[in-house]
Amino acid sequence: MSARVFRQAVAAEWGKVWSVRSTWWCLAGGLALMVLSAVAVGAGAATDAVREGGGPIVASEPAVSATIFAQFALVALAMLVVTAEYASGSIRATLQALPSRGMMLAAKAVVVAVVLAVAGVVSALAATLAVGMVLSLEEFGGMVTMPAGEIAQDVLKAGMYFAMAGVLTLGAGLALRSAAGTLTVVFMLLLGVPLLAMMTGSSVAVELSLRMPLFAGLAFMGSTENLTGGPMPYPAAEGLGWLVLWTCSAVIVGFVVLRRRDA
Amino acid sequence: MTCVISLENLSKRYGERTAVHDLTLELAAGKVTGFLGPNGAGKSTTMRLILGLDRPSAGRALVGGLPYRSLVNPLRTVGALLDARAVHPGRSGHAHLSALARANGLPGGRVDAVLERVGMGAAARRRAGALSLGMSQRLGIAAALLGDPPVLMFDEPVNGLDPDGVRWVRGLMRALAAEGRTVFVSSHLMSEMQLTADHLVVIGKGRLLVDAPLREVLERSSLTAVVVRSPHAGELAGRLRASGVAVERTAEHELVATGVSAERVGDLAFEAGIRVHELRAREASLEQAYQELTEGSVEYGASERVRV
Repeated sequence: MSARVFRQAVAAEWGKVWSVRSTWWCLAGGLALMVLSAVAVGAGAATDAVREGGGPIVASEPAVSATIFAQFALVALAMLVVTAEYASGSIRATLQALPSRGMMLAAKAVVVAVVLAVAGVVSALAATLAVGMVLSLEEFGGMVTMPAGEIAQDVLKAGMYFAMAGVLTLGAGLALRSAAGTLTVVFMLLLGVPLLAMMTGSSVAVELSLRMPLFAGLAFMGSTENLTGGPMPYPAAEGLGWLVLWTCSAVIVGFVVLRRRDA
Repeated sequence: MTCVISLENLSKRYGERTAVHDLTLELAAGKVTGFLGPNGAGKSTTMRLILGLDRPSAGRALVGGLPYRSLVNPLRTVGALLDARAVHPGRSGHAHLSALARANGLPGGRVDAVLERVGMGAAARRRAGALSLGMSQRLGIAAALLGDPPVLMFDEPVNGLDPDGVRWVRGLMRALAAEGRTVFVSSHLMSEMQLTADHLVVIGKGRLLVDAPLREVLERSSLTAVVVRSPHAGELAGRLRASGVAVERTAEHELVATGVSAERVGDLAFEAGIRVHELRAREASLEQAYQELTEGSVEYGASERVRV
């Protein structure tokens, strides 16, 4: 019974995502940002490598770094799945058709996770190929390698990171309901707070911010460096753990608000 | 069809403000029940409580004996139009309905069927944000009809409709009730309600004022009266008063008697041998009856504004 209700709910949410233009804008924006920032990061790294006599760059590494910027376009897609419904009032139509709040949240989470995972994989792959092409130009001294196994792993992990960042945003959106509020909170949580904390230079603040979602994600995606220039102080698996913890917390907060507050 | 709505001591408070207070009532199937009350009386809140969108502070609202939140595929049980503009402005009406149909396991053919029934046609392919209020209203009604439900609720369905649209909605409500469905409609347009409703529920400041058939509400009004013209109005007034009829002399040759039938007034005049030139029953309009009922329960009435 409830399995059928869930399938119907997912089908409904799936249809809704693809019937608004904003979805396509977010996907196109995410893809463009991934490719452009990966090429920029890769070009910078290759130039450094040429000057300092370093080894070639794995083409997917700049793509992983590019997620820092590109994530906001895809996170906006996840946000709109909730906040656009509250803004228009159509959330009431959604809840009339599907009064089980948990089921509605689960359906939206599945759709967001799938869309963002696929979008993440595709745009990370496109970014990797672009980096490979640009860096093999004469100007960068061919400082690039494309090991298939490593690239496959990075690209899949980028998809997983986007999926989780999307579901985290979904939880925040359900808790806050407004687009402005959600975007602000998610931006601060992903980027603002950790950067500010690092600026303080306090080692406790740095340690804590490295366990916030973005850096946990970068650790999970195998980034050997963080924005402070030092190595990640914990293994990739732990990064995944922190990321899952953040995502689940956001979903729980969103669910509690969804259950308790009037629609 | 046993799928009726029942409210049991339903209350809703928003902080200090009580929107709905201890509402107990049952809506019958096969009838159009008009839901009346001044702005802010709690009509929309009551509908949201029935639909499980808001949580009651006390009491409960049941649909066919179950709380809305526990219904499976609820659009097959209750169809509701709350706010016609509550559609993603970038999504087409057709896509909006398709999503609702999928959510409740309804065949895709239902979408086209209800769009046909409300006469939306090609407009259903346009972005909802580009629709006129009238078209949005039709889309909202289509959404309510989607699951072919035995219970229908409409909050101000004729808002923004042209006279043809208003007549169409009236016909639709009557037809839905005639099919045995429970139809619950709120409206500000009293003249419209008088033509549409069989039964009336009136609330003021969240409290139930009236739960009675339309006929009864009209008959109970002090403005429902018998008007008599007679060259001997004074004498007739005396006779009527002696028989316990409330009479008012409204002009030299005119009387208005309340709480009595035209037949009885005619008989009394005949017995007294008094000539009568005109004898007619005057029926209060729903607007007048309603005004009598809600006096003193207008949330933001003029008297209050003066005090501020």
